[in-house]
Amino acid sequence: MTDEELMRAVCNGEQFAYQTIVKQHLTSISHYAFRILGNQKDSEDITQETFLKLWINAEKWQPEKAKLSTWLHRIAHNLCIDYLRKHGSIQTLEGIEEGEGSIENLRDWQESHEINETRTQQDQILKNAINNLPENQRSALALCHYSGFSHKDAAAIMNVSVKALESAITRAKRSLRKQLRDTNNN
Amino acid sequence: MKLENFLQVIEVYGADSARWPENLREDLEAFLSKNQSVRALHSEYSQLEQSLDKIAVPDFPGLETRVLNQALPPRQQSLAVKLISWLIPTEKFGANLWRSAIVACLPLVFGIVLGNYYSFGISSEVDEYDYWEDELAMIALTDISESEV
Repeated sequence: MTDEELMRAVCNGEQFAYQTIVKQHLTSISHYAFRILGNQKDSEDITQETFLKLWINAEKWQPEKAKLSTWLHRIAHNLCIDYLRKHGSIQTLEGIEEGEGSIENLRDWQESHEINETRTQQDQILKNAINNLPENQRSALALCHYSGFSHKDAAAIMNVSVKALESAITRAKRSLRKQLRDTNNN
Repeated sequence: MKLENFLQVIEVYGADSARWPENLREDLEAFLSKNQSVRALHSEYSQLEQSLDKIAVPDFPGLETRVLNQALPPRQQSLAVKLISWLIPTEKFGANLWRSAIVACLPLVFGIVLGNYYSFGISSEVDEYDYWEDELAMIALTDISESEV
């Protein structure tokens, strides 16, 4: 079934169409949320809310204006921005570690996913550098480098011009390159 | 081609030449192959991108189940939407083709019923007497013409 057919079915309240869309887009949305928010719990909440919004606002999608994946990422992006505005800044794993009573959670998380085992120092520094980037630069990097969106689609998701998006990518890469250089020099 | 132009392209489009704009690719590749310092710069950006690729996203166990099983509010449907979805179902369209066929036959049935009740000024009754008068006149004319010949 095409995206249009699936969305028409969602508009008709057919849950099988909703489930198909969730299966198709869950990974890309959850990964995007994680790249922006930097922690798993909030990324899961944002992903869940994104698909709830898809269900509620299905008739607002205009296939001639944006692809379904672009529209879904736009929803997720807006939710992430709202979250960051409410909570001030991103709360990374490192941020959780500093919080009271959260070390247990962090340990559980690390044990279950074993993500830290293969981290090199350089990767960790780069990860911190990404988390310290301004939100728009992080979004631009996540959409263009990791999610593989075209500049036009990424700009549409972020609701900025293509020039502004390219400027954000440039500044993000310059900043990361500088961090890597400094690390290598030290 | 200047170094700033090259730098701008690899910052915006990445170090992979396949992602460079087609109209600039040849010039950029030539510029890259000729210049040692440009190659060093390109290598630095390639390394940065490789490092970026290494940053993995963790698995989200149970997220799919959580999203699929979340309580969805009932959707309000207009009568038109309900009718269209009944007529053109997204599932098992072939098995439900009779719905479209019945709706397609409705104008025909309506026309038959309407035609049965209203004459629309066209009378189907024939005055038999007038008819025979005309017929006899025609026969008479034929006879006359034949006798003249």
